[in-house]
Amino acid sequence: MEPIASHENWRNCFSEVAPGLLLFARQWVQSAADAEDIVQDAFVKFWRRNHDIGNRGLLYSAVRSLALDFIRRDARRARREATALAEAEPANEPHFELEDDTQSALASAVESLPRDQREVLVLKIWNDLTFGEIAGALGISQNTAASRYRYALTNLKKSFQPQ
Amino acid sequence: MNDFSELENELRKLRPAQPSSALFERVGDALEDCRASAAADAKPRRWRFAETSHNWWSLGFGLAAAAVLILFAVVTMERRYDQQKIVAQNSAVPETRPAPVGAERSTSSSRFVPAGGTNLVYNARDEGLHFANDSERPLRRVRYKTQQTWRWRNPETGASLRVSYPSEEIVLIPVSVQ
Repeated sequence: MEPIASHENWRNCFSEVAPGLLLFARQWVQSAADAEDIVQDAFVKFWRRNHDIGNRGLLYSAVRSLALDFIRRDARRARREATALAEAEPANEPHFELEDDTQSALASAVESLPRDQREVLVLKIWNDLTFGEIAGALGISQNTAASRYRYALTNLKKSFQPQ
Repeated sequence: MNDFSELENELRKLRPAQPSSALFERVGDALEDCRASAAADAKPRRWRFAETSHNWWSLGFGLAAAAVLILFAVVTMERRYDQQKIVAQNSAVPETRPAPVGAERSTSSSRFVPAGGTNLVYNARDEGLHFANDSERPLRRVRYKTQQTWRWRNPETGASLRVSYPSEEIVLIPVSVQ
């Protein structure tokens, strides 16, 4: 049994989930190239083993696991990433395709959220995961996922007012 | 309760950065490689065994050393018991004369009895979720580093013997995702 989908299948599926996956991976790694490496590894492993995008919580779990492995692999890199995360420096490469100043301000507000709130927000808004799927991917309860989401929105509402 | 629908709509208007076209090619190549060599999974499995086998070597050596010492202690105790039995059979009346000091010392001084053991877990690291090659479910990998110590004591002389060795164990815990 070789659970590898046809060429067309994986391409359609990947083009649908890749932007959200990349955004999710970049919660840990600042470089877009590193995030693409992680997403590639996770997607290939997921596709080979599951062949069912309906079980996508596992895909996000794999991305998270690989991203954490990635930042552990090299001590210097880990320190650099930790510093970058702790200081919440804006990344050089944008996480979003920005169209105007309002979107730019909103993206900045999102990036300045605490990481535990931001990862739930990213999974909910840009990956359309349910709280159950988010809970599975992050290894937390559904209630925790829901409350982190609510905290994220509350914080965003404080720091950002639509113009 | 606050209504976040307007904010959620604003957030959804933000479009995440698109992946590069090179990423699609790389994923396609990787999946093609998998298709071409279905038996490639056997290789990492062997590597993983080799990776963990050295941990079992240290555990194996430690256990072997402990087994030899226990065997030695048991044999010594049996020899002492047999000697006492021969003395009891040969003498019709209870032996009241004290045994020669040298002879007593030669048998009892080498008698070690197990005095305890400890298994100190000094580091447990959660290494996150992993996909085993033959499993469709993710597994949480936890690495335990321990220091195992076994002690024997000679009740006659008060001498003690201690064997201590480090060991490392990797535990894979199946994870269920809803």
